[in-house]
Amino acid sequence: MSRMKQITARLGAHRVGALIGTSTSSIGRTEEAYTRLDASGRMTVPYCQPDVHHMHSPGTFVVEATGIAGPAMTISTACSSGAKVFAAAARWIRHGLVDAVLVGGVDSLCFSTLYGFRSLQLVSSEPCRPFDRRRDGISIGEAAGFAVLMRGDLAPGAEHAFLGSGESSDAYHMSHPHPEGKGAVLAMKKALERSSLSGDDIDYVNLHGTASKANDLIETLALAQCVGRATLASSTKGWTGHTLGAAGMLEAIIVLESIRTGLVPGTLNCEQPEDSLHFPILSENTERLVRRAMTNSFGFGGNNATLVFGARGG
Amino acid sequence: MAEFDITGVGVWSSHFPDWAAFCRGLNSGVWSYGADLDPDVIPARERRRAPASVKMAVEVMDQACRMAEMDPENVASVFASAMGDMKITDSMCRTLAVHPELVSPTQFHNSVHNAPLGYWSIAMGSHAPATAVAAHHFSASIAMLEAAVQCFEESAPVLLVVQEGDAPLALEGSCKSDHPLAVGLLFTPAGTTSKCMARVGFTVKPNEIAWPSLPAGLADSYSGNPSGKMLALLAVLAQHSSPETGSSPHGVLEFPLGQHTSLNLEIRSAEPGRTP
Repeated sequence: MSRMKQITARLGAHRVGALIGTSTSSIGRTEEAYTRLDASGRMTVPYCQPDVHHMHSPGTFVVEATGIAGPAMTISTACSSGAKVFAAAARWIRHGLVDAVLVGGVDSLCFSTLYGFRSLQLVSSEPCRPFDRRRDGISIGEAAGFAVLMRGDLAPGAEHAFLGSGESSDAYHMSHPHPEGKGAVLAMKKALERSSLSGDDIDYVNLHGTASKANDLIETLALAQCVGRATLASSTKGWTGHTLGAAGMLEAIIVLESIRTGLVPGTLNCEQPEDSLHFPILSENTERLVRRAMTNSFGFGGNNATLVFGARGG
Repeated sequence: MAEFDITGVGVWSSHFPDWAAFCRGLNSGVWSYGADLDPDVIPARERRRAPASVKMAVEVMDQACRMAEMDPENVASVFASAMGDMKITDSMCRTLAVHPELVSPTQFHNSVHNAPLGYWSIAMGSHAPATAVAAHHFSASIAMLEAAVQCFEESAPVLLVVQEGDAPLALEGSCKSDHPLAVGLLFTPAGTTSKCMARVGFTVKPNEIAWPSLPAGLADSYSGNPSGKMLALLAVLAQHSSPETGSSPHGVLEFPLGQHTSLNLEIRSAEPGRTP
C-alpha cells in the first residue's frame, strides 16, 4: 500500500490504472446473503452492500484503497483471469493510456466453486497430483496477489521485465480442453512471438497443470510443440491447489521468484509421472539460472493465456 | 488521436430485436415487444445448454458481423456485463442455500463471466482471443475503451458486446435493471474497410462528468441497466442510417470511466458528405 502511494504520487493518480482478475469475486458473501433473505426475497440489512455483490467488487475496493484514478477494470475469464490482466495492462501502457497498472488476481473459497467443481466430478479426494498417473482431479485453493507493471523507462531499478503474452480460445467445449491442445499451442506460440523469443530461449515453464485427467496430458502435448527439451517444466498446484482466477497471478509471481532466485520448483505430489506424457515434467526442486520463464493459465470456455517474463537487461 | 471504425451493429432487447427495429423505433416512437431469441448459429448440442444470457450475446455478435460482412473466425472479442448472468447467480445461490449437492454441472460452467464468449467461439470455430470484463456501473465505458485499445494496438477487428439482464429481486441493490439489453459493435482498424458506419476518435480525460442522456422513450426502461449507456452511442449512429434524416453521424460523447476519468469519443462519418 505504501508502495502504491509512492507510485501514484510520483506518476500522478490519473496515470495509474487497475486491472483485477477474479472468477468469483465476492460471491461468497452473496451466497451467504441468500441464506438470509427476507420474506419478500430481498437481502437483509447486513448484506445490503451494493459495492460487494457484483463482479468488480475487489476492483472497487482496490481503487478506493489506493486512490488510483486511471481506468480500472475487472477481467473475469475463469482460470485465465489472473494472467490476462498482465496482457491487458501491457497494452494499456503501450497505448499511453497510463504509465503503470496495479494488476491483481484474487479468488476466495466459496460454495459455488466447491460444489460446482464437485458436480463436474473434477475434484480429487486427496491433495492433487499434477502429471501423476494416479491423478484424479484438482484441489481448489484461494489466493490473492498483486504486481505493478510500469513503463520501462520509468522503472530503472526493476529486476523483471514482462516480455510478452499470447491469448487464444479453444473453440471446443465449455469445460473440457481441446483434445490436441490447439488453443494452448496458439497461446504459447503467440507469447513467444510477441517476446521475440524461440521455445529454446525459455528456461522454465510453470504449467497450468491442474491434475485433472484431461488437462495435464493435453498440456504436455501442446508444450512439446512449443519449447525445447532443455526447458524445465513443472506445476506448482500440488502446493497451492488451483486458485482459479488468482492462479495466473500467483504463478506469475512464482515464475518471477524463480528468475530472481535461480530455484525452479518441482511438481509436488508427482511421484509416478504418467507414462504417456509428451514432455518431461520436473519432479524435484532444481537450481538453474532462469533468465526467461513462461506461465500457462487455461480457463473454462476454452480461454487461454500464456505470459513470458525475463530478468531485466537479459 | 487514436481512431477505429464502427462497421457493424447488433442489438437485442424486448423493445427491439435488431438494428433496423431500433432505428424505426427511434423515428416512430413505437417499439416491438416480446421478441423471440433463439440464434441458430449456436449448434443444437450447445444451444440446448445455453442460457438466455448466452443467446442474447451471440445474437448481437452475429448481427454485427453479418452487417459488416466480417467472418468472425479471426476476430477477437470483448464481453462486458456488470453483474454477469443474474438468473444463474440467483438460481445457484438458492440451490447452495438449501441443497448445495444439487448444483448442476451445466449451470456451473455456464456461470463463468466469459460463458457467452465460450459458446460464441465454439459456434464460430474461432480461436481468436476473448476477454470478459466488468466495472459495475462503468462496465459499458471501460469495455468500449478496452475494445478500442485492442483494435488500435493490435491493428485488428474487435467484436464488443455489452449486455445486462433484468435483475432478480435479491440482486437489485447492486443493479436495478428492469429490461434485458444486449448491444454488439464491430470495431475495425480505421480506414481498412469500406463498410464504415462511423469513424471514432477516442481519448481518456481526467475529469468528472455526467452520463450522456438516453433517447427519450427508452430512458425509463434502460437507465437502471448498466448496458443502457450504449443507447446514447447507438442514437448517434442511427442519425446516419436513417434515409429520412440524410445526415451523417457526428458528435462528441463522453462516458464516465470512474469517478475521476472519462472516455471521450469523437464520432464522424468516414467520408464527409458521403452516405454509403
